[in-house]
Amino acid sequence: MSKDIAIDKQRTGLSRSSQQMAQDRARSATGAQRRLWARAESAGRHLALCLIALFAIGPLLWAISSAFKPDSEIMTGLSIIPSRPTLEHFSIVLRDSQFGTWFKNSMLVAVGTTVLAIAIGSFGGYAMSRWKFRGRGLYGNALLVVQMFPGVMLAIPLYLLLTRYHLIDTLWALLVTYLTFALAFSVWMLKGYFDGIPREMEEAALIDGAGRLRILWSIILPLARPGIVSVAVFAFLLSWNEFFFAYVFIASNNNFTLSLGMYSFIQQFSTQWGNIMAAGTLATLPVLVFFFLLQRALTRGMMAGATKG
Amino acid sequence: MQDTMGNRTMSSPGKQRRRKSYLRRNTMAYWLILPSLLFLLAIVFYPLATGLAEGFRYHSRVQPWLTRFNGLENYVTAFHDHQVWLALRTSIVMVVGIVGLSYLLGLASGLLLNKSFRLRGVYRALILVPWVVPPVVSYISWQWMLNDQSGLIDLVLMKMHLVDSPVLWLSRPGLAMLSIVVVGVWSRFPFMMITVLAALSSIPDELSESAALDGASRFQTFRYITFPLILPVTVVATLLQAIWTFNDFGLPFILTGGGPANSTTPLILLSYKEAFQRFNIGYGTSLAIISMTLMLFLGALYLRMQKRQGVYE
Repeated sequence: MSKDIAIDKQRTGLSRSSQQMAQDRARSATGAQRRLWARAESAGRHLALCLIALFAIGPLLWAISSAFKPDSEIMTGLSIIPSRPTLEHFSIVLRDSQFGTWFKNSMLVAVGTTVLAIAIGSFGGYAMSRWKFRGRGLYGNALLVVQMFPGVMLAIPLYLLLTRYHLIDTLWALLVTYLTFALAFSVWMLKGYFDGIPREMEEAALIDGAGRLRILWSIILPLARPGIVSVAVFAFLLSWNEFFFAYVFIASNNNFTLSLGMYSFIQQFSTQWGNIMAAGTLATLPVLVFFFLLQRALTRGMMAGATKG
Repeated sequence: MQDTMGNRTMSSPGKQRRRKSYLRRNTMAYWLILPSLLFLLAIVFYPLATGLAEGFRYHSRVQPWLTRFNGLENYVTAFHDHQVWLALRTSIVMVVGIVGLSYLLGLASGLLLNKSFRLRGVYRALILVPWVVPPVVSYISWQWMLNDQSGLIDLVLMKMHLVDSPVLWLSRPGLAMLSIVVVGVWSRFPFMMITVLAALSSIPDELSESAALDGASRFQTFRYITFPLILPVTVVATLLQAIWTFNDFGLPFILTGGGPANSTTPLILLSYKEAFQRFNIGYGTSLAIISMTLMLFLGALYLRMQKRQGVYE
């Protein structure tokens, strides 16, 4: 309401000056000038966006480029394209570290988190979307609040709990933790998508005697595919990129995830930036591929998530 | 006999029946939320409750036999600890600097992209890259670019003769803080851009078109129409970003390690250092409780605004 009024007020304010502006325009702007102006504007837009995009991808580009440079070139070279590209750093990383194991660990935890976050999350999302059960608000808020707790606060008691059940220093510790944090958004996101699916088909299936789980599996989930794709990307990224809990929970090298392995590289290779950047490139590759494949669906999902919370 | 039966149907059986049918209608929902609820309770709320108790204890791993309930002593100590005040100031500088600047940059990029033209999708995808790259990788890459031995930034500055000797980005207090803010903005502005784009796409084109017909300048349209309309959505996202930035452990831990001389140690990192490096579990937890309480205010605001946007319906 108040917005509408504000706009109306503004509109009347503007129409006074609009006559002057129309006169101004008639006096000065010929067609050619206007076209020139439009071209200048487009150029300005591209220039600004290029700068922003360069800021965004610069660090990654530089890291990748350094991964291919021989040590002599790394310390002084300013060129983004290596003059004598080499795969030496990659082979050192793969030979002198447990990179392969870390990669496998990260992949296991990320895939596990993703699959379970979708399965369990779709149960919760379905319940929130179709039933007005008592405690629904509390459940929803509890999920939202999870995103606000400082990890440090949870890490100590969770560490003790996981130790008691002999899960500390195993990938299971990471799986259950990441899954819980993934559920915090997957339930909400999937609820949003389920809300958009009309209930008529479900009702028809119910009358035909189909159970709720069957309806969820064969009617709702196929229709909510875009939502599932974006939940999958979010859950995978969360798990693949997480550092803090992994750092606290995992001690043995065999159970490192890639984030931990990368961190341990700064100690192991200290200033051998070529090796570190090669490892970083390898660690980033899967998420980058995943991202560009699903970029469109993901952006849509993020935008829906941004307006819905 | 009959009378009592009749009475019962009047009162409690009616209630019971209603209760029963309510439960029958909703049992399925309770089964459906059960698995996620179990994870929430086991991984977040139970540890949280036991953690809260830890904040009111003297508990040091170095002398575990001295562990005892000590009431508010930890908080009194924190109040007189100048490190805590310094860390709180650092936290606030980080949150205001990072969230404020990433809001501006995100808004600018969102506005630039809110028009269909060639390469729009490419720009959008490239700008989202910082959001995808594993933070450890990107913070280490930044650390190297800011390095004063052979870092790209100093090399470029020296080549351009803007400086004579390398700038010590990560080992001077003020510059280290600046570096943290720049890297924080870098990692957070893509999210703000997406939020702004989402909010912009929900504004009907007719609004700005009619404003243009009325002779509004671009700036006027933005100032009086577009911006007020996207403000509520972006405020919610900003609150969430503020909470995440406040709780961000990785950025200061990996980029500067909190140094030099604790100048880039926010409260959350101080709490970690107390609990895990100095083994003062009780005191470290009490610092985490302090920061959590501060975040609860922002969190309450966030939930309120979410509700106002009607996510529950």
